[in-house]
Amino acid sequence: MSSSTEGLTFQDRKFILNGIEGVRRVPMFKELKSILSKVQADYADIRYETKRETKVTFNGEELTQTGSNTTDGYVLRVLKKGGLSSIAFTRSRDAERAIRTAEENALLISRHVKEPVKLARTTVVRETFTPLLEEDPRHVSIDEKLELTRKYNNIPLKHEAIATTTTDYLEITRDKYFLSAEGSEIREDLITTRIGGLISSRDGALIQNVRVGVGGSHGFALLRNQEEEFEKKTSIALQLLKARPVEAGVYNVVLNPSMAGVFTHEAFGHFSEADLIEDAPTLREKMQMGSKLGNAVLSITDDPTLPNQLGFYKYDDEGVAAKPTKLMGHGVLKGRLHSRRTAAAFGEPLSGHCVAEDYRYAPIIRMGNIFIEPSTRTLDELQSAVGDGLYLLDHLGGQTSGENFTFGAQYGYVIKNGHPAEMVRDINISGNLYQTLKNIVAVGNDLVLSKSGGCGKGQMNYRSCNGGPHILVNGVVIGGQ
Amino acid sequence: MMEKLLEMASRVCDQVEIYSLEEIADGVSFENAKLKEIDSTNQYGLSLRMIKDGKLGFAYTKNLTNREGLLQNAMDSLKGGVEGLFDFPSTQEARSPETYDVSVESLSNTALVQECQRVCDRIVRNTKGQVNMSAYRAIAHRRVINSRGTDLSGRSSVYSLAADILFPGSYSAVHRRVINKKFVKTPDDTLQFLLDLYNQAESEAKLKAGKMKVLFLPETLYTLIWRLQSAANGKNIYQKVSPLMAKMNEEIFDKQLTIYDDPLDDRVPWARGFDDEAVSCRRFPIIEKGTLKNFYYDLFYGKKMGTPSTGHGYKSSMWGGETVSFKPFPSLSHLFIQPGRGSLSEMIATMKKGVIVAGALGAHSGNILNGDYSIGLAPGLYVEDGRIVGHVKDAMVAGNIFETMKRVAEIENEQHPGSGGMYPAILFEDVNVASKH
Repeated sequence: MSSSTEGLTFQDRKFILNGIEGVRRVPMFKELKSILSKVQADYADIRYETKRETKVTFNGEELTQTGSNTTDGYVLRVLKKGGLSSIAFTRSRDAERAIRTAEENALLISRHVKEPVKLARTTVVRETFTPLLEEDPRHVSIDEKLELTRKYNNIPLKHEAIATTTTDYLEITRDKYFLSAEGSEIREDLITTRIGGLISSRDGALIQNVRVGVGGSHGFALLRNQEEEFEKKTSIALQLLKARPVEAGVYNVVLNPSMAGVFTHEAFGHFSEADLIEDAPTLREKMQMGSKLGNAVLSITDDPTLPNQLGFYKYDDEGVAAKPTKLMGHGVLKGRLHSRRTAAAFGEPLSGHCVAEDYRYAPIIRMGNIFIEPSTRTLDELQSAVGDGLYLLDHLGGQTSGENFTFGAQYGYVIKNGHPAEMVRDINISGNLYQTLKNIVAVGNDLVLSKSGGCGKGQMNYRSCNGGPHILVNGVVIGGQ
Repeated sequence: MMEKLLEMASRVCDQVEIYSLEEIADGVSFENAKLKEIDSTNQYGLSLRMIKDGKLGFAYTKNLTNREGLLQNAMDSLKGGVEGLFDFPSTQEARSPETYDVSVESLSNTALVQECQRVCDRIVRNTKGQVNMSAYRAIAHRRVINSRGTDLSGRSSVYSLAADILFPGSYSAVHRRVINKKFVKTPDDTLQFLLDLYNQAESEAKLKAGKMKVLFLPETLYTLIWRLQSAANGKNIYQKVSPLMAKMNEEIFDKQLTIYDDPLDDRVPWARGFDDEAVSCRRFPIIEKGTLKNFYYDLFYGKKMGTPSTGHGYKSSMWGGETVSFKPFPSLSHLFIQPGRGSLSEMIATMKKGVIVAGALGAHSGNILNGDYSIGLAPGLYVEDGRIVGHVKDAMVAGNIFETMKRVAEIENEQHPGSGGMYPAILFEDVNVASKH
């Protein structure tokens, strides 16, 4: 579905014209070929991107930002005598200097490494891929985007106890041109939209915050008719003012899909990224293929090819086709996320998970859509199984150190005799990855994947998507206050 | 180039400001004491703000190949109706801290690799822990011009080396960083500090939950500082969501705490004479002997509150990103905490039972505005009878900064580089520690 061109601004029309395939594609690939032809190395690839960001921001009732801007740049990677190096640059006139720097850096690495870097073989691809969108956001006027954001922003603001909001519309369009010395020539567009932010409630000196976010990777239609989500999060922000802080201690907990997703991403997923364990021998030893790390109820997959999910893409930023990758099956480690370099180093299959934030960065290994596979238990059954414990909902971000992780929940309920009772706040949980994988003793039947994301691993990934069904975890440490 | 754009923009609006940033950087990283990566970057970018009839327009680009296009984007943005009631400053002169050392221009990646290798070798010989390390050099040139005649520019150079010794099975580590405007050899006492910290804490300890003394190292103090930065931010004062709103000149922290922002102090390479809106920088107290002295503002929120900008408008965000794409926002990025009297080892000696926060997990989650924190220890170093006896995992430290920072036991007599500033280690009394044991 796509909207008509009625109501387009001049700028939008100009953009669509610029975006027509064939008008820019040929000259850009010609320029990239010319740059690559000057590289003297065993392998090289280059990615050029234009990135268009449209932002609308409200702080409380006030509009504080609106506009669209386009930025661009190049990333060149060079493999020479077993050393792999990258350089990012803005101006085409800097290309020759960039080539020399990347070649020198690759040689410098090659003189220091014992094991020369190899890249796993991949299929040569020549393709232009444009994702199917439910309403192309580029065809929606900025005025309409502004009014929709204002409408959602006004939902919390009509309540007296809501102190303020921050509500953003963010649309990022990346037009990527990838060319490799092996002959791959790939055009792919990634279009991400979201409306989200923070709702802050206040009672005297007590301030509570709830995050809200809607959006995804397949069009503007996802942003429409989301009033209910903003109403729901507003209500939680108001209820939190009456909730009591959770008591520190060790609990059996039911995690909702958002919490299960962030556990899967933070605690487990990062250590399925081969680059994070490659040179950490003690971690790598634990993450051996075939190791029984989790409870038999636990299966985890990362699949960037899932249509209509936030983390969708077809080719990664090394030109490798993304593949569904089973990481854990019934508690046993089955697979890993790889770049071409790590796939060769580990002797494992390519997965197509080497992705960059934008034109400022060389790609690194990232998750696409990672999730716990659903099983059969209902939420009621999981809560009954807990007996006395906590039901924790909606993550507030997390972090991992490898063996240990910490992440926050926006709110929770005390479970008494198998039923959720009073609301609690100030919940941060901490755990040991390996113990927790074993302590996930039951998995629900209701898989939900996240609609907006952000994972920082040196670079930001706004399309980081995770999820799961409700899960039951025994023995979780809660920090409280 | 920028002058031409200024002239074009001035014809269609009341006031114009142009900001440009050119950066080159090279970084090398070592994992498990081996060279892993060398990456370079060479970036340019420019942003334009314009004010017309009390409205603000904003646009940015990486390549100024199409001035008309950039101008059109800013004018389109004007139509949205973002308020722009402030004036760009007429700053004829700003102090010029010494931030640039020409030797960084010719500092080669080979030199960075050699220094990392030297430091790695030294650490590896003296510990069983895994060593990860990174070093970089960067040169930035920044310029702000506006239609009121302001034309300020500054060049800065940075050299930095960060070393971690990792505990087995994780990225949990002890850290220390060297940062300077020119290349300096990592001092032996810095390496010895890291080695001692790691080797003393090498075995795993079990920690019993409860209230105890907690020592934040300079590397983890950002957990508390982020919450103070949030509470003193002019935007949060304007929006009435800061718990400090009605506390000006009240004693909110222990008397031993003095915290100030000083962009002019060029002992650190990120010193600045002017902010990203060309407002002059100055030494600026936030907390003086425990008493709240100031909130900080940029031009936009200063105008909202009827007060001048305090010189804290920076184009930055919590998570990095493309500098030119950010509008200036109140930011406190040159913080110093006044040192106390004790050395770190003397402070540890006073801890009968307690924990040193050597790494923090999840400092970005939780209710930051309210001052609440709840972090995983990655790791915590467990202290008994004045000695580090091991490292703890699976434990959390939690509290609210407006309670914790009232209970300062002692402050270290030296400052070290931390996130957004130079901090001494600080020992607090009666902090809540949660643990499985």
